[in-house]
Amino acid sequence: MIVAFGFLASMSLGCALGVVLSRNVIHSALFMSGSFLGIAGFFVMLNAPALAAFQVLIYVGAVTVVILFGIMFTQRPSVSSFRTIIQRQHMPGLVVAAGLAVFLSYIVSVQEWGGQTEPGQGPQETATFGENLLGVGGPEIFGLLFQVSAVLLMVSIVAAVVISRRKTDEGG
Amino acid sequence: MLEILNQEPIRFILAFGATIFLVLNLAAILTMAERKVAGYIQMRYGPNRVGPRGLLQPAADVFKLFTKENLAPTKADLWTFLIAPIAMFLPAALVWIVIPFAPGAVIADLNVAIVFFLAITSISSLGIIMAGYGSRSNFSLLGALRGAAQIVSYEVPMILSLLGVIMLTGSLSLVDMVSNQAGGFWNWHFISQFPMFLVFYIAGLAEVQRVPFDLAEGESEIVGGFQIEYSGMTWGLIQAAEFAAMGVISAVAATVFLGGWQPPLPFLDLGQFNFIWLGLKVSLIIFTFQLIRWSLPRFRMDQLMDLGWKILVPICVAWIFVTAAAMLVF
Repeated sequence: MIVAFGFLASMSLGCALGVVLSRNVIHSALFMSGSFLGIAGFFVMLNAPALAAFQVLIYVGAVTVVILFGIMFTQRPSVSSFRTIIQRQHMPGLVVAAGLAVFLSYIVSVQEWGGQTEPGQGPQETATFGENLLGVGGPEIFGLLFQVSAVLLMVSIVAAVVISRRKTDEGG
Repeated sequence: MLEILNQEPIRFILAFGATIFLVLNLAAILTMAERKVAGYIQMRYGPNRVGPRGLLQPAADVFKLFTKENLAPTKADLWTFLIAPIAMFLPAALVWIVIPFAPGAVIADLNVAIVFFLAITSISSLGIIMAGYGSRSNFSLLGALRGAAQIVSYEVPMILSLLGVIMLTGSLSLVDMVSNQAGGFWNWHFISQFPMFLVFYIAGLAEVQRVPFDLAEGESEIVGGFQIEYSGMTWGLIQAAEFAAMGVISAVAATVFLGGWQPPLPFLDLGQFNFIWLGLKVSLIIFTFQLIRWSLPRFRMDQLMDLGWKILVPICVAWIFVTAAAMLVF
């Protein structure tokens, strides 16, 4: 366990450093996928394979690929390297990082975590899975969030259709 | 003595190592099967010099690839260029750990095995983009963009086509799906979910970039696409990744829709040797993949996108409603 934790931690942190320090946007995006994979590994260690699978599916498989698409479509392939101007904002970055560190340390150390729960495999049936996801029986806020995200997706699909629609005539 | 092999980290590591070994061999054997099938379709023998009836051809191929020099373009992004084949091969090998081979014989019985399969196959588009970008060639980049766009769009019908079976089974675990189809071939999901099976098959063909969908290679237009700059064993690894991905898609199709290791008739139950049935089903699906490869021409890019978004996705959505209505009535 310690070995796996060390490997995953160094992988996520090393890749995260690579995202910030590399001078090449494509390398940054690839490092980012490595960092996401490390975090998925943490979820596997915590016996949450569902979270790990969704982490890989959404962040590695979708977000990184879309970012890479964006970079490759907006830059000419003939340029020798995909460089960007890196903004050097040391001070704001430091403040944000320190604030995040304080916040996370507070959550981990000071906050009460309630009783100890044994990690399990998670529900086997999709029915319980969905009920947990929607918070059936608990606070009903998750159902609302689900519907809000559904509306958001619907709007984005309609927007994509409108944007990519072929113009039938001038000014159409 | 053998008890120690069944303890958790050792069992997993052994099983995973065996899987990687088997997947590499599977890829080698499939190259030969591909050439043999091509040969018989074109009324010739195919490879027939090495070993009896050419059966040792894969060994000769691998030996040849190992002795060839690995070339890389001088302007290539070397690390990306070299990691890309591995990033393509590993996902194809990883999916095998959730496939149940026989009763109780599965490396990792995840409760979200289907999501795991979808997640891992979505990584392979990253490998293609890495190969296309790393070679620093216009043909490669064009092929990579085509391949990634194709994989990303065909993931949608693939996920939707699995939903029907998930609704019927009520579980995301492949083990549950196989035990749900017990008791003869009339219980297999491909009968009640036939449109979904077809959609999964077509989306799977597109996902592994087999022939009607091999626009990323497109040797007559972009001379090999993302693999144009590869040679020697790195090229071999890309080929192995493609064949291994074909095996994985066939195995998942056989497990989800064709009953996995379940025998077609109840009295044909072979106990632990039921993996033979899984093997037969996977081979059958791979054989149809090969038949399609050697008899159909390639799609155009717009036809590809039309097929995915305007035909396959609506079929899936409609059949999800049919399934839900049937579950409500019966």
